Amino acid sequence: MRTLFEYIPRILSAFKKRDQRRLRKLNDSVLRETAVDSTKINFRLAIISYVLSKIVSKPRLLSEDCQPALSAIEYSLVKLVKKMRIADERMIMDLFSEIETNVSLLEERDPRFVIGLLSKGKLKMAATFYAQGMSLGIAAEMTGIDKQEILDYAGSTMMFDRLTEEKTLKERMKIARQLLSG
Amino acid sequence: MKKRDVIVDAGVLISLTSSCLDNLLYFFAEKYNLRFIIPPSVEKEAVTVPLKKNIRKYLFSAIRIKNAIDAGVVVVVDAKLEEDTKNLMKTANSIFFVRGRPLHLIHKGETEMLILAKQLGVEYVLMDERTTRILIEAPILLKKHFEREFHVNVMVNKKNLEKLTHEIGPLRTLRTSELVMLAYEKGYFKSFESLEKSVLEAALYKIKYSGCSIGFREIKEYMSGVR
Repeated sequence: MRTLFEYIPRILSAFKKRDQRRLRKLNDSVLRETAVDSTKINFRLAIISYVLSKIVSKPRLLSEDCQPALSAIEYSLVKLVKKMRIADERMIMDLFSEIETNVSLLEERDPRFVIGLLSKGKLKMAATFYAQGMSLGIAAEMTGIDKQEILDYAGSTMMFDRLTEEKTLKERMKIARQLLSG
Repeated sequence: MKKRDVIVDAGVLISLTSSCLDNLLYFFAEKYNLRFIIPPSVEKEAVTVPLKKNIRKYLFSAIRIKNAIDAGVVVVVDAKLEEDTKNLMKTANSIFFVRGRPLHLIHKGETEMLILAKQLGVEYVLMDERTTRILIEAPILLKKHFEREFHVNVMVNKKNLEKLTHEIGPLRTLRTSELVMLAYEKGYFKSFESLEKSVLEAALYKIKYSGCSIGFREIKEYMSGVR
């Protein structure tokens, strides 16, 4: 819960100010914390902080029409700040769900993409966890995203070029050829 | 000819089938007597669940994998994996520590593959999942990777690392990319005649975009050596 106590008030403050840069930085910090402390709460917080940063980056989601939905998200965040120290895990998860429902309501006003913000956020976070070094299985379980979806996403990025492999391609092919000759 | 066994993970089967490259499995099974082995959990994940729940996105792959199982090219091997999987997972997830806390790296499904290989005495594992593969091949590389990603010192519990290395034994890993390259070298794409090289390159990018952990650099490197 330490991560939650530390970051939720800051996320609320940045969201109120519609400060995308700050929200992205907070999301980066939550991601780092989640790698070290891989609880479901931290995973969920990482997704929410990412989605909130995306919301404030889209002018169409900040228009006058969207204000009631944005206020509802803020209200849910305030509720989370107030209750987080006394709430148990289940209660926290319910409050996260409330925030997510409000995000969906925001999108209902202006649906543009087949994949919603929340699903996109989950996928992006799952791929990031995988890129950081968690296994595919853990990234999938914690975010609820299919392994193949994560693989498809990861495959189109540079993540496999970022890590210098121990074995060269020549060595790998040597091993592969041995399979047929052995 | 002696049967040569390879343990395969769900990701490989899904990416091969969704790329219409699953005939590679038949090619190697028929010509080189390879047997592709999966645990029941992989069959459940890649075949049973998509078919039962009618998950449209994965039905095509599920049916093709089922076909390969029915044809005996992919073999489902039931084994008692639970206890050993639990123990190995505990060890693997207590190797790297940050601020005194263990980094949870691998999941039940991935660990099961390693246990199945050990129980059956199979030396080769075909997997596209990067973390488990690096953990097998060069765990210290993961430590460096984490340090770069998180800007923290990562401590290694050497006892658990040695235990893991001992437990999994001398496993050799392959990615789908190597299987495709090997197929090319053995004439699998010959029927494309003048397009043989192009189809190889296209196939490599296709599986890369399906999540095989090969870098763009490696594809270019291999293609530069193909005449």
